[in-house]
Amino acid sequence: MKLLIILAWRNLWRYPRRTSIILIAIAIGIWSMLSMSAFIRGMMEQHVNDTISNFVGHISIHAPGYRDDPVIDHSMPQPNEHLLHLLNEKVWAARVRVPAVVSSERETMGVTLLGIAPAQEQALSFIADAVTDGRYLNNVEDKGIILGRKLVERLETGLGKRVVLGSQNHSNEIVERGFRVVGIFDSKTENIETQFVFVGRHIAQKMLQMQDNISELALLSKDRNELENLLQKLRATSPDLDIQTWQTIAPLARVIVNVFEGFLFIWYFVVFIAIAFGLVNTLLMAVFERTREIGLFQALGMKPHWIVGQVLFESLFLLAIGLVVGNLMTWVTLILTAEGLDFSRYAAGYEMAGLSSLIYMVLNMSDILTANMLIIGLGLLASLYPAWRATRYVPVEAITRT
Amino acid sequence: MQYYYYPYKVFLIVSSFLMFSPVFADQQATAIVKAAIDYWRDNSSYSVTEMIIHRTNWQRAMILQIWTQGNKKSLVRIIKPKKDRGNATLTKNDRMWTFSPKINRIIRIPASMMNRSWMGSDFSNNEVAKADELLKYYTHTLIGTETHNGQTVYIIKAVPFEYAPIVWGKVLLKIRADYIVLEQTFYDQDNILVKKMETLKIENMGGKRIAVIQRMQKAKKADEWTKIVVKEVEFTINVSSRMFTLSNLRNPRF
Repeated sequence: MKLLIILAWRNLWRYPRRTSIILIAIAIGIWSMLSMSAFIRGMMEQHVNDTISNFVGHISIHAPGYRDDPVIDHSMPQPNEHLLHLLNEKVWAARVRVPAVVSSERETMGVTLLGIAPAQEQALSFIADAVTDGRYLNNVEDKGIILGRKLVERLETGLGKRVVLGSQNHSNEIVERGFRVVGIFDSKTENIETQFVFVGRHIAQKMLQMQDNISELALLSKDRNELENLLQKLRATSPDLDIQTWQTIAPLARVIVNVFEGFLFIWYFVVFIAIAFGLVNTLLMAVFERTREIGLFQALGMKPHWIVGQVLFESLFLLAIGLVVGNLMTWVTLILTAEGLDFSRYAAGYEMAGLSSLIYMVLNMSDILTANMLIIGLGLLASLYPAWRATRYVPVEAITRT
Repeated sequence: MQYYYYPYKVFLIVSSFLMFSPVFADQQATAIVKAAIDYWRDNSSYSVTEMIIHRTNWQRAMILQIWTQGNKKSLVRIIKPKKDRGNATLTKNDRMWTFSPKINRIIRIPASMMNRSWMGSDFSNNEVAKADELLKYYTHTLIGTETHNGQTVYIIKAVPFEYAPIVWGKVLLKIRADYIVLEQTFYDQDNILVKKMETLKIENMGGKRIAVIQRMQKAKKADEWTKIVVKEVEFTINVSSRMFTLSNLRNPRF
C-alpha cells in the first residue's frame, strides 16, 4: 500500500509539465465553481435582503384582500393585545400604504404613499438610513414628506418646497393635503426612488380619514428561513387577517433564488465535465506510456487491483493538489473582493433587473463541500476507466511492445 | 366632499399673524377676491363659449354650452365640432365626471387626473372643478393698485396655506374695481412664472360687464395657449337642480 502511494506520487512527477497543466485545470475549475457560487449567492442574498427591506419584512400582515387591491378599503385596526404579545421583542412596524398622487407646480406622478412610524422602521426597512438630504421624519405626527431623489428631479421640486399629495378616502372621495419636503432619500434602484413617498402615520391617517387603522404590519424574525413556527402562531391569534411570509409577498425574490440555484448546479456540471475529460486524458496518456512498465509489474506478480489502486492514487493526488490550490485561489479572490464588486458601470441594466450594482461575494460552507466532494468523487469515478485499461494488458504483449 | 385641512388651525395661524404683522391677510383683499368670484359665477349662469386650443402645429376650436349654479355645480357640454358633440363634463362639490358618447360611459375623474389637462386645454381639471379654491386655500394681501380704463385695479397676492393642497408658491391677481379679474398669474415656489391667465376683452353681455375673451398661457411656451371667448351669456337663470346630475350628463334633457 505504502509502495503504491510512493509509486503513484513519483509517477505524477515524471512529467512535471503535463501534471502541472492538469493541476492548473483542476484548480481553475474548482475556483470558477466556488467564485461563481459565491458571486451568485452574494447577488441572491442582496436581492432577497433588498426585497425584505423594501417594506416586505419577513412576515407581512394585511387585511384580507389588500394584496389583490392595495387600497384604503382593505385596511385593518392596529394590532390587538394577543398579536402585540407575539410581536413583543420582534422588530415590527405598522404602516399606512395606499396608492397616491404627488404633484408639484409642473408635474403629477403616481406613487405609493407610506404613512410610517419613523422609529419603528429603524432596522426594518431601508428608509431610516436612506435620507441623504434634509432629515428623516421625527415621529408619526411629522407634517413633512420624504421623497426619492429621482422623484424630486421628475417633479422639479426640491428640499423645503411644498408638494400636494392626493388619494382617496373610504367613500372614494378625493382627499388632498400639502406637504413640505423635509428629506430626500437615495436608493440603489431608481424604481424605489420614484415609487415611495413617506409621511408621518398619523398625518396620513387623518388625511385619509381612516381613524387609527393601518394597511399593513411587517415584522422581522431572527432567521428568514425559519418562519413557519411563528407564522402558525400569528395565524392562530389572528385568523381573520392575511398573514404571509416574504416568499409569498415577493414571489419574484423566491423565483430568483430558485433560478440561481439551478443555474449554479448546471455550472458545476459543465465545469466538472471539462475537468473530467482533462483528467481521463492525462491518466490514459500516463497509462499508455507505461505499457511496458505495467506489463513488467504484472509479470513480477502485481495484482490487477493494485494497478487500479496505483492509477486511482495518482488521480487522487492530482485532484487533491488541484483542489487545495483552487480553494486557496477562491479564498484570495474573496479577500480581494471583500469591499464588494462594483458593477456601477453597467448599473443601468442591473437596476432594471432590480439588482444592486455593488455585489458582495458570499461563500457558503455547504457550497464549498458540494463543489469539492463533487470533483473528488466524480473525478475518481472518471479515473476508473484508465485504471481499468491498465489492468487489461497481457503481460507478454506489454513487455515485448517497443 | 371633505378637504383635508384644519379651519380652526388656519384661523389660529392667521389670527396670530394678524396680531404681529400689519401686511398679512387684509380682509379687504379677501373681500375683493370673494366679490370677484361671486361676480364671475353669479348665483347661476348659462353661456355659450368658444374654446380655442392653440399649439405650435395645430389649433382647434370647440363650442361649449356651460351651465353653472353657485360655486359648486357646473355642466359643460360640447356642441361643436360635430365629432366631439355630446362630450360633457359635470362638476359637483369638487368632484368631476366626464361623459363620452362614443363609448357611452360616464367616467369619474380620479384624484390622479385632477391636475391633468381638461380636454387638452391649458386648464387643469382642478381649475375647472374648483371655482372657490382661491378663497378656501389662500391668504390674500393687497400689494398695490394701478388703473385700467380709468378704474382702480387691485393687485392681490394670494399665498396658499402651509398644508393646503396647492402647489403654487403664490398667485397674483389683478382685479378691477368692478370685480372683473384682469389677470391671474401662477408662480412656483421659486417665484418663477408658470402660467398666466389674461383678460383680453371686456364687454357688456348678459346684463353686466364681463371678461368675454380670456387667454391661459404657459410661461415657457409662447405659442401654446387656450383662449376662452364668451359668445352669449345669461345670469341668474332658473336652472333645475336636475341639470347637475349624472343622468343628465349622459342623457341631456335641458
